[in-house]
Amino acid sequence: MKGTKAVVGVFSFFDDTLKAIENAKAGNYEYRVYSPFASHHLEDATLPGKSPVRFVTATGALTGLVSGFALAILCSMDWPMRVSAKDVVSVPGFVVIGYECTILFGAIATLLAMFHFCRLPDILRKVGYDPRFSDDKFGVVVSCGGEEVDTVVESLKRAGADEVEVRDAL
Amino acid sequence: MSSTSNIHSHSHAASPDSKSGQPQGEVTYKEVTDTVLKMLEPPKAGWYLLLGFMLLLVGIGAVAWTKQILMGIGNAGKSHPIAWGFYITTFVFWVGIAHSGTLISAVLYLYRARFRMAIYRLAEAMTVFAVLTAGLFPLIHLGRVWFFYWLMPYPNQRALWPNFRSPLLWDVFAVSTYLTVSATFFIIGLIPDIAVARDRAKTTFRKVLYTITSLGWSGSNKQWKHFSAAYLLFAAFATPLVVSVHSVVSWDFAMSIVPGWHATIFPPYFVAGAIFSGVAMVITLAVPMRRIFGLQRIITDVHFDAMSKLIIVTSAVVGYAYITEFYVAWFSNNPFERAQFMYRISGDMAWAFWIMFTCNVIAPLPLWYKPLRTYIPFLFVLSIIINIGMWFERFNIIAQSLAHEFVPYSWGGYNFSWTDWGILVGSFGWFGMQMTLFVKFFPAVAICEIKEIMDPPVRNAGALGHH
Repeated sequence: MKGTKAVVGVFSFFDDTLKAIENAKAGNYEYRVYSPFASHHLEDATLPGKSPVRFVTATGALTGLVSGFALAILCSMDWPMRVSAKDVVSVPGFVVIGYECTILFGAIATLLAMFHFCRLPDILRKVGYDPRFSDDKFGVVVSCGGEEVDTVVESLKRAGADEVEVRDAL
Repeated sequence: MSSTSNIHSHSHAASPDSKSGQPQGEVTYKEVTDTVLKMLEPPKAGWYLLLGFMLLLVGIGAVAWTKQILMGIGNAGKSHPIAWGFYITTFVFWVGIAHSGTLISAVLYLYRARFRMAIYRLAEAMTVFAVLTAGLFPLIHLGRVWFFYWLMPYPNQRALWPNFRSPLLWDVFAVSTYLTVSATFFIIGLIPDIAVARDRAKTTFRKVLYTITSLGWSGSNKQWKHFSAAYLLFAAFATPLVVSVHSVVSWDFAMSIVPGWHATIFPPYFVAGAIFSGVAMVITLAVPMRRIFGLQRIITDVHFDAMSKLIIVTSAVVGYAYITEFYVAWFSNNPFERAQFMYRISGDMAWAFWIMFTCNVIAPLPLWYKPLRTYIPFLFVLSIIINIGMWFERFNIIAQSLAHEFVPYSWGGYNFSWTDWGILVGSFGWFGMQMTLFVKFFPAVAICEIKEIMDPPVRNAGALGHH
């Protein structure tokens, strides 16, 4: 958050939270929303579009596919012993290794991508966080300059905030 | 107007006959948080007793395994002709138990089955702990457990590599991938709920534990967006694993030429059996947990009804597979296959077959009667019966087939040893110990996802439209 102040609005109602988001967007303010659960309404209102996690996942999965086959083929060629009349490079048998490595690498890539895009781990939580946001309240935190604080406070109250608090942004 | 009252007035509270799996009655977000976190309160004497009992079982297993390591693998009951006996039976049993966890958490997630929300965390925990238990058995079976790393492809001075054409190596890859992916899926799903516990932790130990393990999760819009995308992708990866892992386990048998093993029906037969036993284990765990922790409004009749239906379907599939095996043995006109299946129903280990058939095919039939699908004492007993039957299913496949191969000279039986039984008991203790610790230290019911399926509180009814 770039502003010098963080104005935190605590909401009990979901539609009020959406209204506060619209107000922040209309005022061209930088904002963040906290919610106790994932909601497609919030996602549509704040960050429409698809998450880039999927590209990392696809890259990881393809790497896994190639690595799995490469591992099985190269190891077999390094010790070229024919077993049970099967080819040294037995592609049907190696499909299982390729398949499992596709999933393994894809899942690990997804995990790393999620950590990267969610900025985790982040033990020192964000400015404006309130423990109630993990229970039954929604939070809209608007970043602004000191001279805009009153306007933002008013806008959050108008949207239906239960409480509005001004904090120093870091 | 308070948010609580508004949740009441605006939530479309599920009626008892609802199929949504939504918590029943007028449940608020706060109630969900409080009910689940109540499970994490300091344990009472009963919990310590249970943990102590599990540790006792682990101790029995440890003594038996130590004895086997010191005295040699001959201490176990396996011997010619049944070289794969008790341990591989128990390995397949525990891998099977693991399966329904992924089915409930991943497959039903992709199908948007809302009833999964209340039970999937328990099922996922069961998956991870069951795979951790299953993974011990190939090592125990090896005898010289300290050479287990020979299974892994690593550069070594002998320039040897494992045989990638062997289903046993496929199994190493399948099970280790399954463990990694299911554990990751489980831990990722836990992060937002651990954050809920972190914000309400009362002791310094818990505060530190949850602060570290929640990784600083704050539930911001950005985090939820990428979390949801990643979670969907994890579910998409875990789903083919449900099918592949037990298929690969079944190929450990089906790729050989042993009569009774060499069958193309094995992969679907094993997958259905795994889901069957896993769902039964979820019921075995959910019934006492629901009662002890007072989760009746979260884990409802809807969930038990849905799980009972899964049992009916998978029981029918395994029953069909049992009968098909006999039909194929007869229709193939292969004398060895015919002899094998005659031996199964009338040989000296026929009791194992009839236990399996009774427990897995006959015992679940009353579930067609609807009231029994929500009659908890019946379900609890049935779930235990099913898992006894499923252990015997694997024993039938493994021990009976090896006991009666091609050459009459090599026919034989299985001599159960106390080491076998000790290690089996120890595996239940190991699994139970992990579950007992888990339910006291981490949220065993998904807080955030239950809230997700509840209608959010709105000031103006209809403000969100239909969703």
